[in-house]
Amino acid sequence: MKETPRELKIHNNLKAGAVVTEGFLGDDDRRFHEIIQEDKTELIKLGISNQDLAKRMEYFTQQAFEYYDGPVVVDDKYKVEYRSFRGKIICPFAHPGVYRKGEITLINLENKIKVCWTPLNIHMIKEHCFFEGKGSKHRLDPVILVKALY
Amino acid sequence: MLISIVYTILIFSAISGILAFLLVIADLLFANYGECTININNKKELKVKGGSSLLDLLNENKIYLASACGGRGSCGFCKCNVISGGGPLLPTEKPFLNPEETKENMRLACQIKVKEDIKIKIPEDIFNVKKYKAEVKEIVDLTYDIKELTLKLIEPDSIDFKAGQYVQFVAPPYEKSKQAVSRAYSISSSPDNNDHIQLIIRLVPDGICTTYVFEYLKVGDKVDFTGPFGDFFIRDTKADMLFVAGGSGKAPIKSMVEYLFKRNSNRRMVYMFGARVRKDLYYVDYFKEFEKKLPDFTFVPVLSQPTEECEWKGKCGYIPPFFPEYIKDPSKTEAYLCGSPGMIAAVVKGLKENGVPEDKIYYDSFA
Repeated sequence: MKETPRELKIHNNLKAGAVVTEGFLGDDDRRFHEIIQEDKTELIKLGISNQDLAKRMEYFTQQAFEYYDGPVVVDDKYKVEYRSFRGKIICPFAHPGVYRKGEITLINLENKIKVCWTPLNIHMIKEHCFFEGKGSKHRLDPVILVKALY
Repeated sequence: MLISIVYTILIFSAISGILAFLLVIADLLFANYGECTININNKKELKVKGGSSLLDLLNENKIYLASACGGRGSCGFCKCNVISGGGPLLPTEKPFLNPEETKENMRLACQIKVKEDIKIKIPEDIFNVKKYKAEVKEIVDLTYDIKELTLKLIEPDSIDFKAGQYVQFVAPPYEKSKQAVSRAYSISSSPDNNDHIQLIIRLVPDGICTTYVFEYLKVGDKVDFTGPFGDFFIRDTKADMLFVAGGSGKAPIKSMVEYLFKRNSNRRMVYMFGARVRKDLYYVDYFKEFEKKLPDFTFVPVLSQPTEECEWKGKCGYIPPFFPEYIKDPSKTEAYLCGSPGMIAAVVKGLKENGVPEDKIYYDSFA
């Protein structure tokens, strides 16, 4: 499928060295809309929306934030910690706005699944349904994410 | 029927796209906005050739507003107050402006194309901001993820700044980044040593600028930065001072304490530094020495998650519960904070609960 200039720009922003050194695509050689489409299909199978997942991630992020970045045990089931870094980062989809730099780590104490996300991940999942490419450092596989967050 | 609707939409979109493209080309080739005037604070007038962004035109005239994205409209740093001219607020600016700023006609200088005379208001301090070239004299590992850079100024060869202010350090294009980026770092050295500056930089995972500093920058390299920026500086009063910092937030506080030491300040000072484990601590002995050098200075490192390996005998937990022990008279205390937004939020809450007036709490959040 031929991409529009805007889509080409987004794809370039997602590559290594544009917004972050390692990029958002990992070793996934698909175009970003193919990655999004596959994850959308997975979400339908899971019966959950990207907005619901993002809302849940926002909830845990806020809990850690309110407890001095944590670690804090939330709802007796999740251990959450927020590592903050100086500065803000832009959205590679050219969405206006900037997002805090940081890493939120959540461990589900019941099933021991650990996931790690950034504030930008929350935005990209909520607004663009983009969970990053396979092999990317902050790729959040929807199946694993659901197991960790619920 | 459906096919004809789709075709109509496609044809309409294609024609719109072509027309928009032609307009951009025509604007680039034929538009001539002539000479325009930029009036700044009713004090300075710049005669410029219209057609470029306000940010670029100010830069050409050596007036540097803060900018971390090089004018791409993605950082929101280059705010200025537009009194007249400048055209309507663009959708690309709205996400960076709160309702109050929108009401006051704050704009992003990088998004305003100067096509007519324009009148703006910027902080007076901006006139002191310059573009510097410097040489890296020393790189010191303070912890496993924090480095200190010493930059000897080349051109201009001296800098005038207030302890607590920051500069925008430029990382050039390199193996892992196609374009130059600039990032804000607080100056950690004293303003009294004006032929060099020091920066304390913590590694940001995958960060373009910090990866450059940690993996590519060498002693002897030439670097660029602009500055100084910021309104985080010491208020000239006799109030007690409480410093609270975490991580690389030690940088502006180090500059402030060194500045106060040089003036043999007799203000009562307590410096509380929060870290998770012992390996996150640095400059501990350095600040303990100030307890002997200054008349009334106390340094209190606090670990939030000390392990057995830390062999830590100091204070444990978060900082706010220790405030009653160190704040003598809250109404006569000024607090200076630098650290993560989470830390700042918790400390501000703790200070207010302990009676420190909100207007006496100054901070530089990692924003």
